[in-house]
Order: sequence, then C-alpha cells, then structure tokens
Amino acid sequence: MGRTILTAKHITKLFPGMKALDDVDFDLREGEVHILVGENGAGKSTLAKVILGAYKAEEGEITFDGKAVKFNGTKEALERGIVAVYQEFTLVPHISVAQNIFLNREYRTKMGLLDHKEMEKEAQELMKSLNCEYIDVKCHVKDLSVAEQQMVEIAKALSFKPRIMVFDEPTATLSEREVDSLFDQIHRLKKEGIGIIYVSHRMQEFPLIGDRITILRDGVKIKTVGIDECSNAELVNMMVGRDVSRVYVRTPNEHSETALSTEGLCDYKGKVKDVSICVRRGEIVGIAGLVGAGRTETAELLYGIESIKSGKVFVKGKNVLPRTPRNATKLGIGLVSEDRKRQGLALDESIALNIVAVSLKKMFPRFFLSNKRIKETALDYKKQLRIATTSVNKACKYLSGGNQQKVVLAKWLSFNPDILIFDEPTRGIDVAAKMEIYGLMDRLAAEGKAIIMISSELPEVIGMSDRIYIMHEGRIVDEIERGTGDFNSETIGARMMLGAGGTVDADE
Amino acid sequence: MQTSNFKQRIKKVPPVAYMLIIIIAIFSFMEPHYLSFSNFRNVLIQSTPLMIVAFGQTCIVLTQGTDLSLGAQVSFVTVLTVFLAQRGIMLEVAMLISVCCTVLIGAVNGLIVAKGNIPPFIATYGTQNIVNSISLLLTAGSSIYFSSFTYRIVTETTILFIPLMVWVAVIVFAVVWIVLRKTKFGTNIYGLGGNREALALAGINPAANLIKTYAFAGMIAGIAGIITLCRVESGQPIVANGWEFQAVAATLLGGTSLREGKGGVTGTIFGVLLIQIIKNGLNVIGVQSIFQNAIIGSIVLAAIIIDAVVRIRAKE
Repeated sequence: MGRTILTAKHITKLFPGMKALDDVDFDLREGEVHILVGENGAGKSTLAKVILGAYKAEEGEITFDGKAVKFNGTKEALERGIVAVYQEFTLVPHISVAQNIFLNREYRTKMGLLDHKEMEKEAQELMKSLNCEYIDVKCHVKDLSVAEQQMVEIAKALSFKPRIMVFDEPTATLSEREVDSLFDQIHRLKKEGIGIIYVSHRMQEFPLIGDRITILRDGVKIKTVGIDECSNAELVNMMVGRDVSRVYVRTPNEHSETALSTEGLCDYKGKVKDVSICVRRGEIVGIAGLVGAGRTETAELLYGIESIKSGKVFVKGKNVLPRTPRNATKLGIGLVSEDRKRQGLALDESIALNIVAVSLKKMFPRFFLSNKRIKETALDYKKQLRIATTSVNKACKYLSGGNQQKVVLAKWLSFNPDILIFDEPTRGIDVAAKMEIYGLMDRLAAEGKAIIMISSELPEVIGMSDRIYIMHEGRIVDEIERGTGDFNSETIGARMMLGAGGTVDADE
Repeated sequence: MQTSNFKQRIKKVPPVAYMLIIIIAIFSFMEPHYLSFSNFRNVLIQSTPLMIVAFGQTCIVLTQGTDLSLGAQVSFVTVLTVFLAQRGIMLEVAMLISVCCTVLIGAVNGLIVAKGNIPPFIATYGTQNIVNSISLLLTAGSSIYFSSFTYRIVTETTILFIPLMVWVAVIVFAVVWIVLRKTKFGTNIYGLGGNREALALAGINPAANLIKTYAFAGMIAGIAGIITLCRVESGQPIVANGWEFQAVAATLLGGTSLREGKGGVTGTIFGVLLIQIIKNGLNVIGVQSIFQNAIIGSIVLAAIIIDAVVRIRAKE
C-alpha cells in the first residue's frame, strides 16, 4: 500500500436543519480502494462532494499531498487531479465522445476553432488505454449503451491525469458483465497508484475490489476497517446501528386459490417466450434470471404496458386481457416498476399526490377532490411505512431512494390490488429500508395478496420467495419450491446462467 | 468503412428534405412553369429574412427554449433604423445601432430566462409585447419612410445571378454552422439543451452561455431586420409578426428537437424552404390566399407527425 495522499480531519458540513457530516475523519492512500458505506442520508456522498470541492465544509481541514488545501468549486479540485465518476452521467448527449471528454478544455486550432482531429486522436488513445477501442469517439454519446457511456465517463476522468478518483454508485445501472469489466478497470487504476474512493452499498462487491471500508451513520464516522477484518453482518450492524441478523422475514401462511396464471405467454419482441406461471393468494413467487432474461418484459405484459402476442392470462380463473395499465389496475394488478424515478413516481409532484395517484377515482367517485382527505391518507401511509419527510407536500424528488420506493408502495397499498408485481423492489436503497420493504411484502402475503417478485439479487429471491421460477433467454427453464433440495443459490444461480440443464458442475 | 459512413450521412438527412422533393414534384406536375430558375430564385429571395431568423431560433431551440420576440425584433430594426435616419443619423450607422439594440434585447431575454429561471416561452412573450409597443410608439402606429439608395444595393446587386441578400443568408448560415460545430460556445449550446449539470460540473457557467445564446439570436434577428428593411424600404412596426413561430416550425421540421439539444442548423434550411415552397407553390397553382394558411398548417403538422412516427419506429 502506498503512502497517504489525502487526509480529511474533523469535517463538519451543515445543511439547513441537519448536520450532514459531524466531525468526520478520512484518509486515502495511493493505490487503494477505500469504500464509503452507509445508509442513504448517512453522509457518504456528502463527504465525497466535500473532497471533490463541490461542497464547502463548515469546519475541518483537508490535506492533499502533505499540503492543506481549500477548494473553491470542483474545477480547482479537478486541476489538482481529484476527479469524480458520477452515478448520473454528466455527458452531453448530442456532441461527440471526444467533445465530451474535453468539455471546457477543448483543443483549438490556430484560428481559434475546435481542433476535432486532435481531440479525437487523444480520446481514441484514452479509449485504447481502457481497452475500449471499439467505442467510436466521433459518435454522439446518445448513440452509446449505458455501459459504454460509463467508460466515456471514466475516460473523461482519466484525461485529467487524476491522483484521486471518486466513484459514486458506479454499478447501479450496469449489468453483471459490465460490472466485471468496470472492476477490471478499477484494478488497473489501482496499480497505477491512483487512490480510489468508492461509494456504494452493494456489499457483495466489497471483497472484490475494496481495501478498506469506512462506515458512516447519520453523518458520523463509525469506524474504518480493513476489508478482511469485518464480516458482512458486522458491517450491516454498524451501518444500521442495530442487529439485523434476520434480514428476510417470512411468516408461514396458507396459500389459497390461484389469483393469477398465464398460459404460453409470448410478446411481439421475442423477449418473452411461452411463459406459463401461476401465483396463489398468500404466496410470494420469485422470478430469477439474468438481466435480459425477459423478467421485466413478462411483468410489462401482465401490466398491459406491452401487448401480448399469444397466450392467455387468467385472473381468479377468468380469462382476461390486460390491454393497458389502466385495464390491468381494474383487474386488480399493481406493478412496482423497476425504474421508480421514471415509471413509478411523478418526481416533481408532492408525496401526497403520488400516494393517491392510482386510487383517486376510488377515493373520489364524484367530481371534486378533497385535499384534506388526500393529506390524511398520505399522512396515514407516511406513519405506517415510516416515510422520512418533514411534510407530505414535499416533491418526491427530494426524497432518498428508499423513501421514494416507500411512496411507490404506499401508492399501491392505498389502491389495494389483489395481485402485486414487484420489479427489483430494493434496487438502490439501503439496508434498513430494504428490511422494511421485505417486512411489508411479508405482511401483504399474510393478508392474502398474491405477490410476484422479480429480482437480480439471489439472496433476496431465495430469502423471500415461496416458489421461484427461473427465466433464461425468455423462457421459464425451471420452477423450484421452497424446502426442496434445489432451493439454494448454487443451483438457481447456475440455471439462471446456463438454462435448464445447468448444474453446479457444469459451471466450468 | 466508407460505405457505412455514407449510410450514416444518408441517415442524417432529415426526413423534411425528402418531403421537400415530394412537394416540388407535386407542384411541378400540376404547373409545368413551376420548375423554372426565376421561380426558384423568387422562393430564395422570399425565404431569406425568415431563413436568417430561423438560424437564430435554431440556436435557442437547441438550448430547450424558444424566443418569441425574434419577429418583434425584426420589425423593431426596420422602425428604429428609419426613425434614426429621419433624425439625421447616417443610414448605415442607424442600422448598426439597431442591430446593437437587438443584441441587447436578446441579452435581456437571456438574463430573464437564466437568472430569473422563467420559462423562455413566457419571458420572450413579455419582451415581444414590449418591443412591439415601442415600435408602434416610434411610428405612431403606421409605416415610416426614409429613402436611400443603400436598400437597392442589398436587394439588387447580384453575384452569380443571386442577390446579395441571399448571400447574406448564406454567410449567416456558415457562421452559425461554424459556431455550433467548431467553437466552444457551440459545444456549450448543445450542453445547455442536453445536460446543464454536465456544463456546471465542467466549470462552465450555464447562465452566461444562455445569455450569450439569446444575444446571438438577437444579433441574427437584427441582420434579418436590416434585410427586411431593404426589401420594404420603410419602417414597418408589424412587418415580421408571427415569424418567430414560423421559425420554430421550420426548426422543428428540420429535425432539431425541443427536448434534448439535438439537431443543427442544416435541417432548418430545408424547414424554411418547405414552408416557403408550399406558400409559393400554392400561389403559382392559384389557390386562394384564405385557404393557404390552413394548408400550410396541415402540412407542417403532417411533417412533424411523420417525423415523430419515423423516429419512434427507428427506436423500436
């Protein structure tokens, strides 16, 4: 491990009404990956932003390369070689990759015009150093895939010749294979002596790339530990501040009649092929599979977002056709979608309005709305689901991921459908909120709802489901009941990757 | 490699260009005299002022805005120039002063939009009305005149059979194209529409660039105003009423998107030509003017809908 390049001491950062960081110490060495973990709102992104110069801390000092520094804005930090690879991409869609990389540092010809040739040449070299020479640097960023865009982000960061790189939740939007190649890059950067700050709450990633972990909770630093010095359970305990030995809760209950079933479902895009599933009341059925296996597409067929090409859907034994989402809700089907920001919520609208969005018609069959009743309903769910907010009139965009997801759930609870489809219900939210959502799912099942859960996180599917369907390339390749011998992550994981015949041995 | 490049180029041709060809074909089928050099030259001359305004509007649309005061600015330039010339200021100097004024009006627009965080539609609607009122005040509601030989230099000098004013439009096009594709400012314009946060994080001041863009469009409207003045040879307070909307329509027809900083000024040429060619063609085949607006409106709508459908198909 190299020498220390950055130390932050006694950092305190105030936001209106709260202490985002309270006397936090942090240090980073050359060639190490230092992971920052904590629940949403614990202050990990805030700390990263203070180091990046995006926020000014009220107290504390930062030493960089042995000298005390104070950054006025990100540009000053950039010039010293402290760069960020952001979670939300900071690329301009309709200019070229090269132009994006050199944004605000454009090369110019003698005439003062942009020197596209020189920028493209250098950009191509950067891409090559990332083993991404297949990305055409003349291409508009908009024409690239998400993973390619991330590589452009990294290339952009590298063009600053960084000493320190900050990755903020970099894997949130990537598929498994893309994550692997990202980790390869991080390992390579490490070898070059770059210090890396990695903000994440995906614990399964930590042993793969981390050297040290700093745990934050409510703006306070709990501890910094070496990667091998701490088990996952201890880590979670430190993050949440209470014992979470039982993350997945399932109360045993009776499964009664079939609520929803399908026969030979196919879609027009060829992503869903001959899917027959069923879910009974009181049951949680998991659908496991890799990204692109057709799980979300199946949910979209059931919820009427995409059209069914062939096959039948039965709700409570009656043959139905969910043509539109409106149609589907009338049939008693609800969907907690994968992308809550785009599909689940009206981000600019208030929490209250989002909660009653689907049930407005039910609540007010006559013409006029009652703001009082809307607010009461919202407050009720705020209490029930412990949505952390000062007011239900706040716009949803100001909430953390976990709380946003709770608003989505509240929306469906207030509508009270019999069948609920959860698509990646815990993506991008912290452990405490996850546990609350698991608890809620369990409660709903106990109340006799039929639940379908789509998830890429195996422990979650296995922990919560009564039965698991495994999807592979659009088909259901297997169905495994809880309590049978195959109900374990090795078997399910192998079949997800390899299809029906997959076993653990075949993995080689 | 070369062929794929060629294919990409073909794909970049906005659908409106094909539409243009179809419309020309229809008109020339209906009226054999339609396809003549003199008629084509006429269309070019008629298109020129709107064309120039539309180049400016394209820059604004790229930042996810619209400038509704551009038409008012054009009228204002004709009025102010004549007004000043009548009071003994040299006409050319008066022209220069007028253009400086539109740059200023643009800057004010940009300031309100950027610093006040007010939707461009509203902000520029406000300035449109103010500027219109000033024009009407200066002229007491009618046209004002100042005779000069300068007008004719612009409208009647020809280079390669094309009048000087059309060449002005060509130069404005070249300047805007270079600004958008070859300068930092142009990159920032795309950034303003595409991802403002990216600009801010790169240490670029989005507000300053927005103000610059509106001022740039103002300057271009000023030039359009001078051309218009040379054509009508008088100060007319409402001569360019509604041009701002035609310019927006032409920009959208040309494939520039109101949403994400996508497009460019080349498509706008086709957009303006489409509108003008339809107008001209309807005249040539003798459609009554009361029907013309409805027909143009329908065709603009049709073009935009076809474009949207093509784009959605392409996505799937």
